[in-house]
Amino acid sequence: MNAPQHASLIGQRIPKMDAPEKVAGKTRYIQDLNLPGQLYGLILRTERVHARIVSIDTSAAKALPGVRAVLTAADVPIHPIGVNKDNPPLKGDKVRCERDEVAAVAADSLEIAQAAIKLIKVEYEDLPPIFDPRDSIKDGAPVIHAAKPDNVAMAFDYAHGDVERGEAESDVVVEDEFTLHRVTHCCMGVSGVIADFEPVSGNLTLYSNTQVPFLHKREFAEVLGMDPSRIRIIQPPIGGGFGSKLDIYPFEPIAVYLAKATRRPVKLIFTREEEFIASPTRQPAIIRLRSGAKKDGTLTFRTVDVLLDNGGYTSWGATIPFVMMQTFSSLYRVPHCRYHTKAVYTNNPFAGSFRGYGNLQATFAIEQQMDKMADALGIEPYEFRLKNAQNAGEVTGQGMHFKTCGFQDCLETAAGRSGFVEKRKALGAAKGLSGVRRGVGMASMLHVGGGAKIYPSDGCGTILKLDDFGHVTIMTGASEIGQGSETVLAQLVCEELGVPMSAVTVVNNDTDITPWDVGVHASRTTFIAGNSAIGAARKAKDKILAAAATVSNMKAEEMDLKGGNIVRASDGEKVMPLAKMLRQLHFSDKAELVMTTNYYEPPSVHQDKGFKGDVSAAYAWATQVVEVEVDTDTGIVKLLKVWAAHDVGRVLNEMGIEGQIEGGIIMGQGYALCEDMPVVEGHLVNPAFRDYKLITAPEIPEMDISFIETMDGEGPQGAKGVGEAPSICMAAAVANAIENATGVRIASLPFTPERVYSALKGRPL
Amino acid sequence: MTAIERYLAPAGLDDALAALAGGNATILAGGTDLMPQINAGKVAFRPILLNIRRIPELRAVEVGQGRISIGALVTINELKDNPVIAKAVPLLAEAADHFASDQVRNMGTIGGNVANASPAGDTLVPLLVLDAEVELASATGRRSVPMAEFFTGPGRSVRRPDELITALSLPLPRLRTVSRFVKFGTRPALDISAVSIGFSATLDGGRLSDVRVAFGAVGPVPMRGRATEAVLEGAALDAAIIAKAAATAQGEVKPIDDLRASAWYRRELIHNLLGKVLSDVVSR
Amino acid sequence: MSSLVEISCVVNGTPTRLAVPPETSALALLRDHLGLSGTKYGCGEGECGACTILVDGVSVNSCLMFAVDFDGRTVTTIEGLAVDRASDPLRQAFVEKGGVQCGFCTPGMVVQSRHVLDKHPNAGPDEVKRGLEGNLCRCTGYKKIVEAVITAAAAQSAAE
Repeated sequence: MNAPQHASLIGQRIPKMDAPEKVAGKTRYIQDLNLPGQLYGLILRTERVHARIVSIDTSAAKALPGVRAVLTAADVPIHPIGVNKDNPPLKGDKVRCERDEVAAVAADSLEIAQAAIKLIKVEYEDLPPIFDPRDSIKDGAPVIHAAKPDNVAMAFDYAHGDVERGEAESDVVVEDEFTLHRVTHCCMGVSGVIADFEPVSGNLTLYSNTQVPFLHKREFAEVLGMDPSRIRIIQPPIGGGFGSKLDIYPFEPIAVYLAKATRRPVKLIFTREEEFIASPTRQPAIIRLRSGAKKDGTLTFRTVDVLLDNGGYTSWGATIPFVMMQTFSSLYRVPHCRYHTKAVYTNNPFAGSFRGYGNLQATFAIEQQMDKMADALGIEPYEFRLKNAQNAGEVTGQGMHFKTCGFQDCLETAAGRSGFVEKRKALGAAKGLSGVRRGVGMASMLHVGGGAKIYPSDGCGTILKLDDFGHVTIMTGASEIGQGSETVLAQLVCEELGVPMSAVTVVNNDTDITPWDVGVHASRTTFIAGNSAIGAARKAKDKILAAAATVSNMKAEEMDLKGGNIVRASDGEKVMPLAKMLRQLHFSDKAELVMTTNYYEPPSVHQDKGFKGDVSAAYAWATQVVEVEVDTDTGIVKLLKVWAAHDVGRVLNEMGIEGQIEGGIIMGQGYALCEDMPVVEGHLVNPAFRDYKLITAPEIPEMDISFIETMDGEGPQGAKGVGEAPSICMAAAVANAIENATGVRIASLPFTPERVYSALKGRPL
Repeated sequence: MTAIERYLAPAGLDDALAALAGGNATILAGGTDLMPQINAGKVAFRPILLNIRRIPELRAVEVGQGRISIGALVTINELKDNPVIAKAVPLLAEAADHFASDQVRNMGTIGGNVANASPAGDTLVPLLVLDAEVELASATGRRSVPMAEFFTGPGRSVRRPDELITALSLPLPRLRTVSRFVKFGTRPALDISAVSIGFSATLDGGRLSDVRVAFGAVGPVPMRGRATEAVLEGAALDAAIIAKAAATAQGEVKPIDDLRASAWYRRELIHNLLGKVLSDVVSR
Repeated sequence: MSSLVEISCVVNGTPTRLAVPPETSALALLRDHLGLSGTKYGCGEGECGACTILVDGVSVNSCLMFAVDFDGRTVTTIEGLAVDRASDPLRQAFVEKGGVQCGFCTPGMVVQSRHVLDKHPNAGPDEVKRGLEGNLCRCTGYKKIVEAVITAAAAQSAAE
């Protein structure tokens, strides 16, 4: 008799575990949850962007029937939030941007809360504002935060080598200034929270959209002056994250204050307009980049000066210079590099963290300049990139060690599949400023793919149990934010334990149940939580096979778990059903359940004060080539096709990873072509989808996706993180394609029809 | 928000006109403009909310005596899909395809689009070049107003508060009529027009007559391009005339700078897109 | 508060009599009064499609519709399609083709896809993309959603 063959789940197209419930409309997001007796919270935001608060009169609002609490800064403890601790949830002394929260109401209904908000009278005394980050650092500029009289929220300096020497060795030197705009996440599910404070026990349950529940818990305790062990965070399914839920925002502590004040659960949900006005944005940036190369195409040096518009307050997003720095110092081999970044306060809406975390901005600058330098050197840009691309085994000036590196493969694959070199040559020969022109452009990227050791630990815990029937429950610290992490974790565990996907439940949404994880960011979940889950599964497997060895005539190492059975490893011959073994263990004299725990900490290190150190356990690479059509009569740029080659380590779930890459490409398309948040004198002028244009279905390009499998030694089954990578190259590639089509290089985003048309006409932007 | 005192959904036109007589009713048709305007505080409810969707005669599409009458409640998707409309006035069906989204096209009505009088209303430019008349009814009588005289400003028209738009009436295009509609945008629909252009003329023996040109989103109201029409009327379409017409159009539109486009860019678009439209007419 | 208006309609196959405030949106009626939370609020302005429902078999943005206008009509929400056997291939295709990530746009996408397939039983990529142009998705990049609807169209015609 032939033993059954059990195909590996790795690399298969596995549907998301939560999809059947989602397509039936049964999934309950934060908006869909209601607690008995809950009140509705609402925030009054300032209408001024930089002003002293003279007085707040809440008496009329408090007198309105159905109003249960009206709070201002005077009613709550002042514990500012944010990475610089500069953002008090309710503003008492002054307001610094359009979003600022000056009062909050809890009422029996949303309608009453809306009426109450209108009754609050605030008197302001305007202060001189700053809207352009270049003005923030001028002498005598108004001071936005007294604690930072120079208006610099954060500054970063990094160097390796000797750029003066590099410049002396250069045959070609180019310098450019790039200007990057403000965009936002546009999660389809708007922000919201429900705070349930139990007055007798003092326990707080927060139903929150956070993607970092354990860090949240700690920061909440600080902000609220509570014992962290009294805080439980439950995460309902999230209607999109993309980095937007990496910080605590003022509305969350405000909901808790309201719940404390009223002794009732308080639900606070944004409107879409509020979501646009009061949720984080990507950092607007001004990047001055100077680079050199020798005649043979070897890069010599790079100096970088970046000015980031931090807005009124400082979120975690202000640390994007960490990531930008990696791209400038290490995407290509650059012997000499100097990098300086300032994130400065303005009275604009404050930026936060967003998928790609500074890398879209850095890549836009570098990859345009690579084309420009190649042209100056008379070298084909693809060859120029290939010559300077990193290889496996390199340790960069920043100390990043590329144990696996698929960069050259990515370049060759994307260029080969798109016919890039020939196409670029042919289209470039026909470039012009009339009619409809076509062009191709290329860009590449480097991003962390094995976590990023920023916090004291970059780890993730797993608790795993099997029941008497072989059903596996995985309790993981890693949050599911739509990216498919629970499905991948289940797959990795199934692979170890030889059980089908249907035999797995993943619990990932309750800090009282799940073990610690640093959070969903840095494309780390598959890598870190995956390794953690595999470790827990292997411990369970060891236990099961050790038990099996006592009841069979085989040694543990001669057996394996496949197809729900304990089998002989050599030929797959069934030894006994897994469930039977589990029951024997449970109901024997040993009386044991199979329950294991594992905490995985990646073998990465913290950077030193000079930002040097191998911060991630693996690094991801990609090259994307785009083909565009430019209508020179209108400036409309149409994206026709994208060829994307990604070093993903190994494909775990082919459908899941395609979904991440396709979604990322389209997000990058929006960043390049149409998304924009014009802010005029501190006020967002388009807080609606009507004029904040997301890409729609008819606009998507053809996508040709290739996976480069470098089988990372530390990755789970060889995989690397890929969540952020696909959106990073698009804007740079499109810029290069527009140049190929028209001969005009545009150094500022987005490439809206009017901007492109103006550039083609040589009109100042 | 003002409270609605009465909600009425009459099945007959006379009842609706009676309810409107005092001029204190908010008219509800498709609702696609009304609901967001109410939510944004741009419009306040009047004491009566008058739902006209249950009046069958406002849905009629009739052809007779050289004209087509399209009931005010005909939805944008019906404009797109109704074979009678597609045959009689294909330009209108084509314009409907660029309108918002499928869901909005299923709800929004032609009467509502005219009543809202947005300078960027997607059906207005084709209705202008098709020489449509707005049929108005009130408890005291009926009247027809040519589209070119209907709009008085953004969101404003000559319709009195006691009047209801019952239909749009259009002359059937003559033989050898050529017509075009162009809406500038980066995607097929779901886009508020930064500019749009309508063109209609009789092309006989290489010469244009009965020329009508209209522009959307380049002034306070959708406008007829009278100077451009004068350049084209009686002319043979050659490169010089096309260039002259495009330049004339660029000069006669009165766009403003707003979030969606600068005035300069709108003028450039009018110039370039009208040139494209006319070149396309020549090439067919 | 305005006085309530009595209406009767059929919601997901169940004849229903309701008293609704005249200014209330259909979306608010479904979610807050009828507990049908599968229909989502995404923007409240008819720009995102998350609140799409079928009224007399035709797709509309429930955020733009007045609840009073349900009177005399047949309303189908995602909860209705979830138990509709004829829509099994459609929901299944969304699952199997990877058309779901965070899932927030999904109910609206499924309902609008139902309408697209009813209108164009043999819909190809262009018809599907145009049909879904009023439904925003921030996660998937639409490709797999379009594939799902095309797959469902094929499965549907094979079944007929």
